[in-house]
Amino acid sequence: MNLRESLRISWRSIRAHKLRSALTTLGVIIGIAAVITFMVLGGGFSEDVVGDIEAEQEPAMTVQTQTTPEDGFGVMLVETPIYTESDVDALEQREGVEYVAPQGSLDVVQAESDGEQLTGVVDAQATTADRFEHATFVDGGPFDGADEAVVNEQAGQAFEENVSAGDELELTFEDGETTSVTVAGVAESEIGEQTPPQVFVPADEHYTTTVETPDGDEERAYPTLQIGAEGLDDVDPVQETAVDYLEDDSHAAELKADDDEIAVQTVEDAIEQFDDLVGQLTVFIGAVAGIALVVGSIGIANIMIVSVTERTREIGVMKAVGATKRDIMQLFLVESVVLGAIGAVVGVAAGLGFGYLGVWLLGWPMVYPLEWVAIAVAVGIGVGVVSGLYPAWRGARVDPIEALRHE
Amino acid sequence: MVAHDTGPGAAAVTAESVRRTYHLAEPVHAVDGVSLSLGEGSFTAVMGPSGSGKSTLMNLVGCLDTPDEGRLEVGGRSVGELSDTERARLRGTEIGFVFQTFNLMPRLTAIENVRLPMVFHDGVGADRQERARSLLERVGLGDRLEHEPSELSGGQRQRVALARALANEPTLVLADEPTGNLDTETEAEIMELLVDLNEAGATILLVTHERAVAEYADHVVHLLDGEIASLEHLSGARDVTAREKATEGAGNRRSTGEGEA
Repeated sequence: MNLRESLRISWRSIRAHKLRSALTTLGVIIGIAAVITFMVLGGGFSEDVVGDIEAEQEPAMTVQTQTTPEDGFGVMLVETPIYTESDVDALEQREGVEYVAPQGSLDVVQAESDGEQLTGVVDAQATTADRFEHATFVDGGPFDGADEAVVNEQAGQAFEENVSAGDELELTFEDGETTSVTVAGVAESEIGEQTPPQVFVPADEHYTTTVETPDGDEERAYPTLQIGAEGLDDVDPVQETAVDYLEDDSHAAELKADDDEIAVQTVEDAIEQFDDLVGQLTVFIGAVAGIALVVGSIGIANIMIVSVTERTREIGVMKAVGATKRDIMQLFLVESVVLGAIGAVVGVAAGLGFGYLGVWLLGWPMVYPLEWVAIAVAVGIGVGVVSGLYPAWRGARVDPIEALRHE
Repeated sequence: MVAHDTGPGAAAVTAESVRRTYHLAEPVHAVDGVSLSLGEGSFTAVMGPSGSGKSTLMNLVGCLDTPDEGRLEVGGRSVGELSDTERARLRGTEIGFVFQTFNLMPRLTAIENVRLPMVFHDGVGADRQERARSLLERVGLGDRLEHEPSELSGGQRQRVALARALANEPTLVLADEPTGNLDTETEAEIMELLVDLNEAGATILLVTHERAVAEYADHVVHLLDGEIASLEHLSGARDVTAREKATEGAGNRRSTGEGEA
């Protein structure tokens, strides 16, 4: 019996029970739609965060403190200022190190430009001009004086009248003090479109957080450092040197809490860590979708068994007019594969639709997870085969004499 | 105990001491040593009361069932020696079924129903659609090709079933109470059609319990308790013969035949 004829007969049977067929495929549709939706969202998120970074490799790395939360997984950043001026100086002496730029938050609550005030939106960071060694400026350049500042694009666009180089900014601190700075440059955001509006001012003049060092002195200390290597080839040795120093000889090693860890991450490490997280999420979603697909295939198998029972007499008739066991198996298998394939196709379409809606709402780029679409269709057909095998086998071994007597 | 010689011409179906036993509480010989030969182009009716073995004989001749003892040949092939798949193929090519309850596929149109045996039998590669159309025209349903069974009357459904039975040019058309669900007028139409088909060359075996229906045939086989009680020739010209072989086994079987239904 050729495939076209079995497709025709199976299709009639599916169409004869439209509602039942639709409900049957719903499990597969939901499973596959969930996978595709999350793959689109995950892909869009990755693309948004990592896309720009991967394009340009920088010989730079970030030093931060991390802790593992008691419950939950992953890591959390700790904002304790433990990297002292002495640590910064010591690191700068190491071979291959081009610069060490410390960075720490300032408790700025309000920024004002040209009479327009933004409260609680702008994040102010104190750092050194070295931090912008590898930055790309859309306008102007790094700050070069006590009363100058760099803003990122988000901050520049946060005001109604876009801020550009030469504009005045007035920053209000939590304690009510204000300071006035001139914008020296507008820097491109390094990480995606989700970066908050930021203003960078020189640390020497604006940063005041100090800690007591193990030697008993009061020194300024920062929660974050950025280390620049002389070239791309120096990145790995510098990373090693920095880890060795920070973990053993630095003030930071003594100042950090016992559970905290000092992490020196290159841009590549950050991407890797991010990819790991996305990977874990993918496995999780895959498991959820897997359950939905198992449920879906049980649904198909169930309906196929009902269908075999209902059509016992038809099976008898088909056997009487010359259908072999193989023909009957083929008919029912084709029917369940068609159900699975419909589930896959509708699921992919729904998944892409929801995914598209999601990335559109979140402002991420649309990513078409083609390999997942292919996997989904293959899985849908596979689900059809697996769930159709047993019912088809039952149908094939129906005794035609009994079947023709069946009411 | 009277032996009947096979008439002239090739036999479409030959049964020799065919026996089929059901193992219920005690063994029941539903068909008990039947010897029968149906010549090509003959029209034979099988009559008998309920439980006389009509259905079992029908299933055996239709290759739906296999004999426990004896030899049954359909279209020159011994049914008992065939595999399941080979019997399915044989049903498709050598036998056309017509049932009391029509047994059309409910969701297929008339022409698709007629095509069905051709679909299962890939050997007839020729234009299936064309052949199905001409068969339906032959039974007077040329204007009902695309109708589903639910849109047809009982008589029309049975005509579709007749056309379907002829799809693969079978050696034998098996009609099991084909008019049992029809009114008298329609019954006459269907029977006339069967006679027409027979006169055009088809071999027909008809199962019925109505004398009036049986009289359309040329020969009537009377079954009783799984055995051929008598063979009646309504017109002597046909080459149908039933033989009851006087074998040793037959005598023994008769003595154990108390449990027959």
